[in-house]
Amino acid sequence: MTPVAAILLTGLGTYLLRAVFIVTASRRSLSPAVLSFLEYVGPAVMAALVVSMTAGSAGLSQMKTPELGGLCAAAVVARYSSGHLYSLIAGMTVFWLLRAFL
Amino acid sequence: MNAQSDTQIPADREIIRDALLATLSLFIPVIPFTLVFGVVVAESGLSATLGWSSSPIIFSGAAQITLLSLLGEGASTAAAATAALIVGARHLLYSAAVAPQFQHQPRWFRWLAPYVLIDQVFALLKLHKHTDPRAYRLYYLATGFGFWSLWMLFTALGLILGPTVPESWGLAFAAPVMFVSLLVGMVDSRPKLVAAIVGAVLMALLLGVPNRGGLMIAALLGMAAGAVMERWQR
Repeated sequence: MTPVAAILLTGLGTYLLRAVFIVTASRRSLSPAVLSFLEYVGPAVMAALVVSMTAGSAGLSQMKTPELGGLCAAAVVARYSSGHLYSLIAGMTVFWLLRAFL
Repeated sequence: MNAQSDTQIPADREIIRDALLATLSLFIPVIPFTLVFGVVVAESGLSATLGWSSSPIIFSGAAQITLLSLLGEGASTAAAATAALIVGARHLLYSAAVAPQFQHQPRWFRWLAPYVLIDQVFALLKLHKHTDPRAYRLYYLATGFGFWSLWMLFTALGLILGPTVPESWGLAFAAPVMFVSLLVGMVDSRPKLVAAIVGAVLMALLLGVPNRGGLMIAALLGMAAGAVMERWQR
């Protein structure tokens, strides 16, 4: 395979991952138990993504005080405001300040 | 974030405006990611055009970066594509979670919508609960293709600017900050809080699994913990 084929294959695979339930299951009624289970996709995936992205390739050693402080600041601002931009500004500001002074 | 009721369906223009505003505010944290993308393409040894072509073909930042990084490191193309698909496997959960909203949607939309089902679009769909099928469709298309347009433009700019921005600025941290903001908006009950905590703790424990394969395990067990907590509360 060439890099072109790898990009095409990944594109096709990613589309299929996104489409499989929307195209096949959307005409069927899902049981209440399944619907209840799916309610937790967002919180569980987003929380795991936060840890995965913060840790990066360095692992847990990457999660130091500036990172944790930035995430906490973003969470607090998100809790009390409706704009994601405010949350971003707070999180990045605290992250940069802690990194500069610690 | 405002939930929409059945009786008050907003005008099309209002839906599209809300969607585009939400898209713009959520895209700002993504910009550093486009710079990282530019660096990865430059280091992969692939041509800029071929690297950028992954944007319209794959349209998934994490999968694109994984694929191009591994190709650049000399991994076999099959291994690189497999790793990228593992990274993108969470989209399967998004597909399942939004599927019930597609029961009353036209066929063309059911085939088109998955192409733009990314993390941010999924999160916005969960936060803005449009119950009217047409309003849902408009909101979905405006956010999805809003993100798509910005991603195409900024990944092209990232190819030029990415290699010039020092890594020491730590701009990549904007991405987890954005996801924390989205997460807080989603956690509106104790079972959802439990799902998030279990997902985060298990992800931390599973960081060593290659290609972030632990993400799906952490997410599924987090979801199970939330569902168990919900039953236990009844």
